[in-house]
Amino acid sequence: MSRRAPGGGARSSAASTASALPAISTEDMCPVCKTIRYLNKDMEFLINPECYHSMCSNCVNRLFNDGPNQCPYAGCHRTLRRKGFRSAFFGDLSVEREVDIRRRVAAVFNQAEDDFETLADYNDYLLKVEDLTFDLVSGGDARRRAAEATLQQWEAEHKADIERNRKAGKEADEQSRRRLAAEREAARQRRVDALREAEEEKLERLRTREAELDSLAQGEAGTAQRVQLKRRGQAAAHRAVDAAVSAAAGGNATSDTALGFMSIRGLKEKKKPPAPEGPYDPFGGLDFVPSRYKMHAGLTHPAIEKYRADPAHITGGYSFAEYTARAMFEAFAGLGVFIEDEKEVGIGLSAGEVATISAGIAAVGDKMELD
Amino acid sequence: MAVSPLVAPTIDMLPSSRPASSPGKRLPTSTVPSSNDNGTPRLLLPGNRLGPDGGATPAVTLDPIEQLNEDEKRKYVKGKKLGEGTYANVYLGHARHDPSVLVAIKKIKVQQQYQDGMAPDAVRELKYLRELHHPNIISLLSVFSSKDQNLNLVLEYLPLGDLEMLIRDVDRVRYGAGDIKAWMGMLTRAVWFCHDNFVLHRDIKPNNLLIAADGEVKLADFGLARAFADPGRRMTANVITRWYRPPELLFGARHYGGAVDVWSVGMVFAELIIRAPYLAGNTEVEQIALICKQIGTPTEDNWPGVTHLREYTVPSDVVPVWGKDAYMGRFGAVGADGVDLLVRTVALDPKKRITAREMLEHRWWRTDPKPTPKEELPRKSAGGEEKMGADLKRRNGLLDGEGSNGVQRGAKVARKLDFGALAK
Repeated sequence: MSRRAPGGGARSSAASTASALPAISTEDMCPVCKTIRYLNKDMEFLINPECYHSMCSNCVNRLFNDGPNQCPYAGCHRTLRRKGFRSAFFGDLSVEREVDIRRRVAAVFNQAEDDFETLADYNDYLLKVEDLTFDLVSGGDARRRAAEATLQQWEAEHKADIERNRKAGKEADEQSRRRLAAEREAARQRRVDALREAEEEKLERLRTREAELDSLAQGEAGTAQRVQLKRRGQAAAHRAVDAAVSAAAGGNATSDTALGFMSIRGLKEKKKPPAPEGPYDPFGGLDFVPSRYKMHAGLTHPAIEKYRADPAHITGGYSFAEYTARAMFEAFAGLGVFIEDEKEVGIGLSAGEVATISAGIAAVGDKMELD
Repeated sequence: MAVSPLVAPTIDMLPSSRPASSPGKRLPTSTVPSSNDNGTPRLLLPGNRLGPDGGATPAVTLDPIEQLNEDEKRKYVKGKKLGEGTYANVYLGHARHDPSVLVAIKKIKVQQQYQDGMAPDAVRELKYLRELHHPNIISLLSVFSSKDQNLNLVLEYLPLGDLEMLIRDVDRVRYGAGDIKAWMGMLTRAVWFCHDNFVLHRDIKPNNLLIAADGEVKLADFGLARAFADPGRRMTANVITRWYRPPELLFGARHYGGAVDVWSVGMVFAELIIRAPYLAGNTEVEQIALICKQIGTPTEDNWPGVTHLREYTVPSDVVPVWGKDAYMGRFGAVGADGVDLLVRTVALDPKKRITAREMLEHRWWRTDPKPTPKEELPRKSAGGEEKMGADLKRRNGLLDGEGSNGVQRGAKVARKLDFGALAK
C-alpha cells in the first residue's frame, strides 16, 4: 500500500529522483548522517519505495520512530513512515525500483496463456503489458501518469477477475506441487517394491533349493529327473509371475504418466470459462402436446371398431392410438389460423402472391374450359 | 403443418388425353397436400397448363405458374455434378444472389415406367419434405421443373457425408459413447418428429443420415415415406432396406405403424456400436434367420398372432428371446441404460416395441456420458460431397450395390464380411 502514489505529480518527482539514485555498494557512508562503515560495522542501508533514497538504519530509527516524517534528502519532500523501510535486494536501486513496479503490474495483469483463444492474442496482451510497464519504469512524466491511471483503472474495474486469476494461479502451483510429490512418492514406492520383490525371490530360490535337496536325499532312484522337471516348471512359473509383475508395473507407470497428463489437461480445461449449457433435452425443445384438445385413451369411431379386433391389424403393430391422434389433429388443423395474421403462406410466398396466382389459375382455367 | 385448401384447384386434374407437360410446374404454389391422401400423387400430377395447342407454346406467353417456375429456377445456379444414377442426378448448386449459399439440386429423371406422371418416390419425397421442417430432417428449399420436364428438388447442402462413412472408416474415425448418444439423439428426434406428424419414413439406415457442416445429423431420402394409413387400408410390406427391416414386414404384415421405423433406429444404434451392420442378411429368408438367431425366434408366446402372418417362416430350431445380459458383451460400450434402450427398440412384437417418443423419454439420455456437442463430433472431411451425391441418387430401399447401376459401389459395402456363415 505504501507504494501507491497519492497523486501523479508526487509520483513523478519521486521517479525523477529515482533516475539519479546513488549506488550504496560503492560508498559505505550514510548520506544522511555521514557515518562510515568503519565506525559502525553493522551499518545497514534501508530504502523506502516511496522515493528509494537510502539511509542507514540508525537514521531511520532516529527520524521515523516518532511517526511519519519528511525524507531527509534535500529537495525530496516525500513523507515517509518507519513501516515502509526495508533493505534493498539489489545493489542498483533503479533495478530494485523496476522490480517493484513489475511485481505490482504482474499482480494486476495476471492472465495466463490459457485464458486466451489463440497464442497471438496472448502475445498481444503481453506486449501491451510490457509497454505499460516500460512507461511506468522509464517513461516521461506524461506517459508515466497515463500508464499509472490505466493500471489503477484496470485494477478497479477487474477486481474480481484479478482475484480469480490469482486464485487459479495459486491452485495451479499447488496442484503441480502435489503432482510432483505424488510422482516422487510413486517412484519411491516402486523402488521399495522392487527391493522387496528381489528379497522374496532370493528367499524363494533358497527354499526351492532346499526342497530339491531334501527330495533328492529322501527320494528313490529315478526321481531326480522328475524333480529337475518340477523345478524347471517352477522356474517357468516364476518367469511368468515376473513377467506379469513387470507388465503390471509397466502398466502402472504408463497409467501414472497418463494420469499426470490427464491432470494437466483437466487443469487447462478448468481454467476455461465453463460453457453455459443446460441439461440435455432429448426432444430438442419441441413439444407436440395439442393445445386445443386433449387426447383420451378411449377415443374411437364406429367405423374403425371392426378393425380393432382384426388380427392383421393387431399382429402387424398397427397403432390405433396413432390413428386417433391423427384424426384429432386433422379435425382441428387450421383452426386458429387467420389469413390476415399469416405473413407468409407456404414457403416464400406472400398472401398477395397466392391471390394473384389463384386468379391466374382461374383465368387460365376459364380459357381451358372453352376448348 | 397447415393444410391449405386455398390453392387446391378444383379444375380438371387428370388430363389423361394430353401429353404430360411439366410435372413440377405447379409445386411452387405451395399446394400442400392434405395428409390423409395416403400417397396418391393426385395433387401433384401434371396438369396441362399451356395453351390449347398442347405444349410447345413459346416462352413469350408464360402463364403465372410458368412464370413462378422460371423465377424459382432462376434463384439457383446449377454447378458440377456430384453423382448420377438411374433415378436421379445430383448437382452442386448455389443461390444466384449469393454464391456462398450452397445447395444440392436433385434432378429426378423421367422414368420409363412412369411416363404419364412422376415417379411415386419423387412424389413422396416432395410431399413430405415440403411439410416437415426440423433441424434433423433435410430441408427442401425449393422445387422447379427444368426445360426437359425434369423435376428438380433443391435440398440443403450437407457436405460431410453420411453416418455410414463414419461407421465404416474404422481406421481413421474413432468415436465413443458420447458421440453415439449425440447421433442417436438427433436420429431419434427426427423419427419422433416424423411420427408425431404422422409420417412413416420407412427407409432409415446410416446411408440416409447425412451430416451437415455443423455436425448435425439429418434424416434424408423420403422416397419411401408415407402418412400413417387409415385402419383397413393396406400398406406394402416391401419397404425399408433389408438389413434394417423389422420382422413384421419380413413376415408380410400389411397393417403396421411407427414401430417399423423404431426397429430400423435400433439397427442403426447397434451398427453404430459394433461398427458393422448388425443383421446383414443377403436374402429375406436369411434376414429372418439372422433375427431369429441374434434376437430370438418370434413365436405365439412372445408375439401373439405372429404365426398367422402371411409369410411367417422361421428356422425350425427355436431360439428363446435373448435377455439384456446377452447384449451386454457386444453392446456394453453404451452402458447398461443404452443396452436397455437397444433391447427395447428391437422387441420382436411391434406392440411391445418402444415408440420414438418413449425412446426420447428414456433415462439413457440423462446418464453419463453426456452427448457430445454437435460441433465436436468426429467427422470426415474428404469424400463427403461424393457421398451425398451417391446417397441422394440412390433408388430407395436398396443397399449400395443393389439395383442396376450400383455394381461398382457394391465393393465398399460390408459385403466382404461373411455374415451368411452366421446364419447357418
